[in-house]
Amino acid sequence: MNFDPVLAWHSLPALCHGLLVTIGLAALVPVLGLVISVPMALARLSRWKALAWPAAAYVIFFRGTPAMILLFFVYFGLGQIFGAHDGLLGALFSNAFLCAVIGFALNHSSYVTEIVRGGLQSVPRGIVEAASALGIERRDVFLRVRLPLAVRFGLKAYQNEVILFTKATAVVSVITVIDLTGAANQVFYDTYDPFTPLLTAAAFYWVLVNLLRLGLARLDTWLNPHLVVDERRDSTDEFRPRAVPERHSVTAHGIAEAAE
Amino acid sequence: MPSSSLLGYCEYLLAGAAITVELAVSGYLLVLIVGAGWALMRRLNNPVVSAAWRVYASIFMGVPAVLVMFLFYYAGSPTLSSLLALFRWQVRVNVTPFGAGLAALTVVQGAYAAEVISSAIRNVSRGQFEASRALGIRPYQTWWYVIMPQVARLALPGLTNIWVSVLKDTALVALAGLNEIVMRSRTASGATNEPFLFFMLAALFFIVFSAATLRGSAEVERRLNRGLARPDNDRRLLAGERT
Repeated sequence: MNFDPVLAWHSLPALCHGLLVTIGLAALVPVLGLVISVPMALARLSRWKALAWPAAAYVIFFRGTPAMILLFFVYFGLGQIFGAHDGLLGALFSNAFLCAVIGFALNHSSYVTEIVRGGLQSVPRGIVEAASALGIERRDVFLRVRLPLAVRFGLKAYQNEVILFTKATAVVSVITVIDLTGAANQVFYDTYDPFTPLLTAAAFYWVLVNLLRLGLARLDTWLNPHLVVDERRDSTDEFRPRAVPERHSVTAHGIAEAAE
Repeated sequence: MPSSSLLGYCEYLLAGAAITVELAVSGYLLVLIVGAGWALMRRLNNPVVSAAWRVYASIFMGVPAVLVMFLFYYAGSPTLSSLLALFRWQVRVNVTPFGAGLAALTVVQGAYAAEVISSAIRNVSRGQFEASRALGIRPYQTWWYVIMPQVARLALPGLTNIWVSVLKDTALVALAGLNEIVMRSRTASGATNEPFLFFMLAALFFIVFSAATLRGSAEVERRLNRGLARPDNDRRLLAGERT
């Protein structure tokens, strides 16, 4: 069993087509995820039980279920009910790609909801109180003080989730969407050579995941410039005095920016 | 559809759940071994080990677990056979879906577990090692009686997360043809035309089973934290309050 460069070269068009599907999913779903998860996190933090409990149930259900079952759910379950109908819903659920987007969005958004909630909760209460004491409107306190800080707190976890989710899209071929993994399998069925297409696809994923990781890391250094040194301290066993203050200093920075 | 056949399919699903649990539990044990092995090796600060770890982590954290599983499943048998042939051992190795899934879960989640355990070891304060040496405790006793209990305490939350992802990742092995609960829920819903019922049952299995184990992990956490009597501190933090 050897790697066959000629076959790898010839399977490139098919794999690139699959890669586009993977990238499409990885680009569309996080957008939906953010749209769903911010209101969902607010509902989860709400004082009203009628809002908080359904949001908690949403998170428990969609986070606890493997993405594959959710894909089946949307494609075979909802698809069967609405797929035969005319109109918008019918068009939506008879399209496997859109079903995949919905299924993954349910899964991904429940994770992001918890990240947003954690971020919002780690904003020190004093800052919010100070902002309202300064006479800033409630809406602005949220949009310009709490949310920007929550983004900085939650960014690390969000990066991890986006990367984990991107890798999780590899199961999408169970509902007939041919992504990068699906395309590699197709080449395998045609040529009886599993090694070459799967290894090539793995290389594609590796590059995609690392580009994503580097891009998100840049976003982090841009948002949290003064925490960059902190990172390096984590990666060594050497004990170093904490020249850089802990996460709390973000707050001062955030306030300064929010007040501008 | 007569209800007796629905009940029959429920039994069928339950048998699949047993396979899922078997795979998840054996996978998790191997993940812990691989993770702890890497974490301890990385303590050596050997450049070869560090380089090997970097390559391993980069590959298995950068490639989807399904793809790793496919590689093990389809390419595993010929590769293993030819490897063994190198040692003049002519056997036809047959990689089963269960074996391929187990191996893929182990190497992929093992990388994450190694990260969790390594950072837990890093977070045990250096004074603990120094004090043990000053007291003349032997190195293996230091590790076993002093350091490891603290590592277990620090690593527990991360390892619990890994357990939940191992459990959910067992679903991937359905793609290699292992007839576990997800695969069976697909079969049952196709045969009975009741997709909601069977997918819901499969989903509930994962939710209830992981919730049950999370309760167990909370119990373990309490036991490991018994030396640190600050129980309400954590509760206040969870409620979003600053302490």
